[in-house]
Amino acid sequence: MMNYINLKTPPVREERLGTGIAFGGTACELRCAQREGCIHRAGRTFSQTQGCQFTLSLGIINTLRNAVVVMHGPVGCGSCSIGNVGTSQAYKRLRDPNAEGLIWLNTNLDEVDVIHGGEDKLREAIRYADREFRPEIVCVLASCVPSLIGDDIEAVISELQKETAATLIPVHCAGFKTKAMATAYDDVYHGILRHLVKKPEYSEDRQVVSDDLRDLQRKYRESRTVNLLNVGSMSWQDETELKRLLNALGLNVRWLPCYSTGEDFCHALESALNVSICGTHDDYFIEHLQTLYGIPFLIDTMPVGRKNTARWLLKIAEHFDLQKEAGRLIDFESRELDLALEQFRPHLRDRTVFLGGGEIRVIAMAEILQDLGMKVVGFKGHHYDQFAEPLFDSLQDVDNVIFNIATQHPFEQINLVRRLKPDLYIGHSGGGNISAKQGIPLLPLFGPSYNYMGYSGVFEVARRIRRVLSNAQFNRKIAQHCPLPYKDSWYEKDPFSYIKKEV
Amino acid sequence: MNKFIDRPRFTCALGGALFTLRALPRAIPVIHASAGCGYNLYNAANAGAGYLGGGYCGGTAWSSTNVVEQDIVFGGEPRLREQIRSTLELIAGDLYVVVTGCMVEMIGDDVSSVVAEFADVEPPVIAISTPSFRGNSHDGYDMILAGLFETYVRRGIAKRDDTVNLLGLVPGQDAFYKGNLTEIRRLLERVGLRVNTFFGEGDTLENLQNASEASLNIVLSDVYGIKAAQAFEKIHGARYISLPLPIGAAQTAEFLRGVGEELHRTDAVERIIRDEEARYYDYVERVADIYNDVDLQRYAVVAGDLNYVPAVSRFIADELGWLPHLAVVTDDLDSEQARRVEKRFTGWESDVRPLVKFDTDTSAIQRYLREAWEPDRNERYYDSFSPVVLIGSVFERDLAVKLGAPLLTVSFPVTNRIVLNQTYAGYNGGLSLTADLLGILIAGR
Repeated sequence: MMNYINLKTPPVREERLGTGIAFGGTACELRCAQREGCIHRAGRTFSQTQGCQFTLSLGIINTLRNAVVVMHGPVGCGSCSIGNVGTSQAYKRLRDPNAEGLIWLNTNLDEVDVIHGGEDKLREAIRYADREFRPEIVCVLASCVPSLIGDDIEAVISELQKETAATLIPVHCAGFKTKAMATAYDDVYHGILRHLVKKPEYSEDRQVVSDDLRDLQRKYRESRTVNLLNVGSMSWQDETELKRLLNALGLNVRWLPCYSTGEDFCHALESALNVSICGTHDDYFIEHLQTLYGIPFLIDTMPVGRKNTARWLLKIAEHFDLQKEAGRLIDFESRELDLALEQFRPHLRDRTVFLGGGEIRVIAMAEILQDLGMKVVGFKGHHYDQFAEPLFDSLQDVDNVIFNIATQHPFEQINLVRRLKPDLYIGHSGGGNISAKQGIPLLPLFGPSYNYMGYSGVFEVARRIRRVLSNAQFNRKIAQHCPLPYKDSWYEKDPFSYIKKEV
Repeated sequence: MNKFIDRPRFTCALGGALFTLRALPRAIPVIHASAGCGYNLYNAANAGAGYLGGGYCGGTAWSSTNVVEQDIVFGGEPRLREQIRSTLELIAGDLYVVVTGCMVEMIGDDVSSVVAEFADVEPPVIAISTPSFRGNSHDGYDMILAGLFETYVRRGIAKRDDTVNLLGLVPGQDAFYKGNLTEIRRLLERVGLRVNTFFGEGDTLENLQNASEASLNIVLSDVYGIKAAQAFEKIHGARYISLPLPIGAAQTAEFLRGVGEELHRTDAVERIIRDEEARYYDYVERVADIYNDVDLQRYAVVAGDLNYVPAVSRFIADELGWLPHLAVVTDDLDSEQARRVEKRFTGWESDVRPLVKFDTDTSAIQRYLREAWEPDRNERYYDSFSPVVLIGSVFERDLAVKLGAPLLTVSFPVTNRIVLNQTYAGYNGGLSLTADLLGILIAGR
């Protein structure tokens, strides 16, 4: 039973899960190495900038409604939020038309603070956030600098919690602590578990005589409710599709944590099952919910692709003894989808694809591609650990396909893509211009305004791939005029020559 | 001691350094910092500067040592040495610049001695210290330029009377830096000068190395670039003048006269002003019909950085005949710097004088508005603050919605526009600002 709840910070994923961030080989070799438990020791002699715990924490934190973020660090930390100012507000307003946009304060630590500590500034910022914006939650994200100078964030928070209306949530996410940036999710959930999740209080519970009927109704509702753990890369359309499928089985759906308010977390415990959508995001949270509150959980596959979606639905249905109903739903959906995909198949058959991004996403997406008759010629995953394993069950003949583990690090991918010459690159955001210079069309691996999940997601991906493949002139022109920065000699070398097995 | 900031409109020294280097052709930064610094700053400045992009070798392509706890404990020099070596092997560039993040600065890594091991390497590898607890992105620009002037720009070459350097527009902070540099260079070339802009169209590292030929540095800002100009003066012995970023005919004429006086080219300057003004008003005359036919005069609130806020406020007051009632400069300034900027709100041709505030907090602007205009107390007849236009950054969007005002974003962050070669500087800049401001008013027509 997982229980790190009394630690100040969660363990890093290299230690907790043996997560590896550097590997080159085939899919089969990667899975072997993971089973042997040795991939977390590898590193690189050449590295490129990537996400860190701080910025990935923002991936969840910036979605919370009724919340203000206090970034405790020098003024640049978390400035990436600038890129989300408009979209964050728009996506929040899909859930609540009156939602506020993204508000954050940076404690602007300077040289004086580096010597004398930044706690006073942090106090000021938290007080201002509470007074000026009256949010439900203030999330305090501590970056590298306060971690190194030893600011006692927990003490500041417990001191100020007595005077603020907002619930204060510390997130210890110093970037230098780990190269497995997904540790960020554990940091965020650690703060949420310790400060936000609690039994809700109902005024009826204070009545002298209990109301049996009401209690039974509540229990029944809870017994038919699942918490779905959404991720920042998902869209409203994805949520609508997954909710539709579970509603069809007679289950209620509650979404956590993205786009939730503080109050939503008070209802987190009123559920029969916590269901993961991406093991990389939420295992820490839902395993702790089991340890601490006895709520069972399901971590298996990601519902991207029809086989993955079916498997995901069946696993949930099993818990509620609804396998028969789920089977009927899956058959129906699958038939409808087949008819809809017919028009795209001739255009997509045998086209080749290189996939790069989160390891769960890329393997799940490969299922859609194989379903469409396309060929996956290479994978790149941000990192690797046990959570990717179930996703391989939906794929055929990928044992000998190249699998590169690299968090962003486009240089290895560029070399691979040059060798493998795919017709399409499907990738994580943030490297668009680099891939464009290879002249091939690109489809984003995910997008918070597009549908990728469930049955409708397969259709959406199919029709977008067809569109993207039908005119690649933009990237072709870029490639003709804008060179990549790598020396010619790099393309003659083994793409994995900068990986070292032991750091 | 400075204070916290509600939504800062700049990043850190490393951010300014990286985007200054990103704007130099084939200069390759090697980031010696935690893994997330580069990517975080790329995401800020890419979107904030109107989708500037990573360029030749930026964004996730940036070489970075990605130091972790063991490097912090045992020192990051071995990792840096390894990273410089591999960067030289892999990345084709003409200049490699090691820049530093907070962690390696705090533990005191000896970056210069690691870089000294590469002294014989061609193209050169240099190190410039850019600790972010010692400044924001504007300071990062100064740090990089001062560092380049110190280690890269040739010493002892002959000065030329007709050569000037342009400083003060920070790439990745001024979304329009390239268009602005192009316009100012165009005008100065008309005066007969050779102009190094370093980050402009067609600039090369060769220009930068020979920048010491310049006999004058023109800093287009009251604050940004001043430290770099002072470093230049000390190292390469050329004086500098600080003239504000000029927008529109009146300010540009003043700018050109300032330069003309300094370089004794007053006759040429007057000729060019006459010529440019004729061309300028040939265009402005077009909108004299619509402006007056439908009353396009507006109240305005201007918020943003110290280069744009005074220039835009004065432009809309003195040329567009608008009424800027509140101007908020959002930089983190000392009192001397603030005094210099405040002076830019005086000596205007119109009688308009906005309430000028210096505040780094986004939420403060709305509070100052209550000071700048009598709030509605439910009177039967209320002289409301309308029609009004907001000119600022994308952070002003919520306030614009509250005021029912259109918003034009000109100052960082500008995430709702694509900026390519547009300019707001000089004569062409005045024309584009006129077109953009009046354009949003007639968009429904």
